[in-house]
Amino acid sequence: MTVPALSIRALVKRFGETTAVAGVDLDIPAGSFYGVVGPNGAGKTTMLSMATGLLEPDHGTVSVLGVDLWGHPAQAKPLLGVLPDGLHTFDRLTGAELISYAARLRGLDRETVRARRDDLLAALDLAEAGSTLVMDYSAGMTKKIGLACALVHAPRVLVLDEPFEAVDPVSAGAIRRILAAFVAGGGTVIMSSHVMALVERLCDHVAIVGDGRILASGPLAHVSGGSDLERRFVELVGDVQDQRDLTWLQRS
Amino acid sequence: MVAAVLGIRFRTAAHLLRREWWRALLTGFGVLWVVMMLPSLVWIRAALATQDAQIRGDGLVAIAALAGLGWVVVPLVVASLDDTLDPARFRIVGVPARAILPGLLVAALLTLPAVFFALAFAVIGSVWADEGWAVQAVAYAGLAATLLCMIVGARVTALWGTRLLASRRAKLVTAATMLVGLAIGAVIARSLFIEGLSGLVETDLDTLLAQLALTPLGAGAAVGRSAAYGDWWGAAWRLGLQAGWALLLIGAWHANIARALVRPLSRGSGARRRQDRVLDAPPTLAAPTDAPAAAVHARLRRAWLSDPRYLASLAGVLLLPASFFILVVPVFDLDGRWAYAVPLMLAASVGWGRHNDVAFDSTGLWLDVVSGRLGSAVMRGRMSATVAWGLPVTVLVALATVAWTGRWEDAGSLLGTTVGVLGVSLGIAAVFAVATPYRTPAPGQNPFGAEVGSVGAGLAAQLVSSAVAMVVLPVVVAPFVLGLVVDPRWGWGAAVAGLAVGGAAYLGGVTLAGVLYDKRAGRLLAAVA
Repeated sequence: MTVPALSIRALVKRFGETTAVAGVDLDIPAGSFYGVVGPNGAGKTTMLSMATGLLEPDHGTVSVLGVDLWGHPAQAKPLLGVLPDGLHTFDRLTGAELISYAARLRGLDRETVRARRDDLLAALDLAEAGSTLVMDYSAGMTKKIGLACALVHAPRVLVLDEPFEAVDPVSAGAIRRILAAFVAGGGTVIMSSHVMALVERLCDHVAIVGDGRILASGPLAHVSGGSDLERRFVELVGDVQDQRDLTWLQRS
Repeated sequence: MVAAVLGIRFRTAAHLLRREWWRALLTGFGVLWVVMMLPSLVWIRAALATQDAQIRGDGLVAIAALAGLGWVVVPLVVASLDDTLDPARFRIVGVPARAILPGLLVAALLTLPAVFFALAFAVIGSVWADEGWAVQAVAYAGLAATLLCMIVGARVTALWGTRLLASRRAKLVTAATMLVGLAIGAVIARSLFIEGLSGLVETDLDTLLAQLALTPLGAGAAVGRSAAYGDWWGAAWRLGLQAGWALLLIGAWHANIARALVRPLSRGSGARRRQDRVLDAPPTLAAPTDAPAAAVHARLRRAWLSDPRYLASLAGVLLLPASFFILVVPVFDLDGRWAYAVPLMLAASVGWGRHNDVAFDSTGLWLDVVSGRLGSAVMRGRMSATVAWGLPVTVLVALATVAWTGRWEDAGSLLGTTVGVLGVSLGIAAVFAVATPYRTPAPGQNPFGAEVGSVGAGLAAQLVSSAVAMVVLPVVVAPFVLGLVVDPRWGWGAAVAGLAVGGAAYLGGVTLAGVLYDKRAGRLLAAVA
């Protein structure tokens, strides 16, 4: 049996009296394009933060290609490329400098960094913006430069939290092509998203998260059960209970 | 709208207190401190009450002027303005500045420092009670206007300072402010060194206080004296001056709020940089050689040159040693050798100032954390970026001090001890930066602001880190002092001990900080973001 790209066991995280992640078990097959979906506040970001070394779990283990992330971070973290959501970055660097920074942190030599930095800036349509401070970037450009930082050391597993959020359609197409090529080359992409159509289009596996638990997981066709993913998602997490009309919004 | 704004302020505080109980403890300590200060206020009042009206007035003017300066300077140095009601937070609500200004004003009047000063002015200002109710009433009116000027003045200064530091002229402004401060300090120091404190008090203090009483720094506090002398016209125009100044400041605050509502600070003004200064950073002696640490070093060097929060820290570290040289040495007519404390204080100030260094990267810390087990590299990179400018600056100041005293025989021991103090304080700061980080303004936010309650957390971390520094630093400084006062041969010991202990403490501190960083990597982000 092949080693999962990411293996999560009994993962728990509490914030005061709130349980954000309540005992998650999940295996993500190597070479898959894995979608993680769930309603707002379901615990997706908390789970992915613990799965990438950003947030210490209260309980449980995370393995990256068989390496215990929290036990052996020096061996596990180089295997990961991470794009968190909602976190800013060192925005007083230019885009080019930020990619170089991420690459040098990963220990790459100068010439490799120079070549990869220029490749990534071109591939993500950021060549012109490479000399601009990241603080002047739009939200979409910031996502793209974050993705470049996650890719620069050629990781084996990419964990991307909402990678397409605020990205324009042209850039989204470029990102899709890059990620598809990455998976075709044997890499694994784990992507959280709220856009079901995007997950259905890109992913071959999916996990639906709700209330800090995995409600369903596996191959896309298996999870969606012959229906479309959005309908299945609503069935599992439940629809909005009080669907009242905001009549006061209508013009008289 | 006042109630709505106040509601936000107090509900935020209540939520934070519920979430983090220790904040209540720190607030309690603050209240306790105010209560403990009450006897001092009563004592000052009693001391002034026995004096004639002239001295009573002078005393009040001096207190008001010093407090006024403090209100302007302290928020810029210790980032202590509660930022819950930072005007920029009201951007999404779409309300005009004039709608939120009254609420912000009332909230500013209800902070602990404002309440303390109101209490202080109420107690000390009652020295005019025996002059009749009318005198007492106008005296209180003058002090109330003075207090209003202090509180609003602090807000205006912080907002202006923020705007200047966020602009492309930040470096120029920082350098100019430091130069102007040093120039003013030099004039004061010259007068003090030539005339001494007693001479200055005899000849110039009366004049100074009289002049201050004609300005917004002291006019309001001098209202009571004018009224006590029966000079009601003088009391009226002083009161008018102080009230007019308060209105002017409120107008400036209004303009700043209006600007903050539509002009975010976090933009980089479209600055472009063709050269990759992370990959091809200009070489420095302090730069580490391994790639991750060199990258962190290069990034931090950029921060020291361009980040308003670092620029504000840079200006702040000079305040204590400069004040000592300009005020304490001449005022107390100290032996020239006391000036040696200046480079030592500067080294301690530069080093200790980094005790919360990691928190300054609250928004970008994740990239360091996900990139590997890099605690050692991150801390070496961070601290060496401070060494890159801190070491030359402290060595230069030490040499300048020796040149000023003319005692070149002390140069070796002073240089060794200065380097030792810098190394020890940086080593301690490195450990505390990882062990007890507290929240600071994020990049792009008001560099002088602080989240409600974080001032207390910051004070606690500062107290502990400075206490440790106080215990360890004498080990380095003692041989130097012995060399000065007991036997010059100790001087050589001081030079060697400074270099050895400083170097060892720096390396040890940074290494320990690196280990701690790796242990706490999964908690650091939550602690500072």
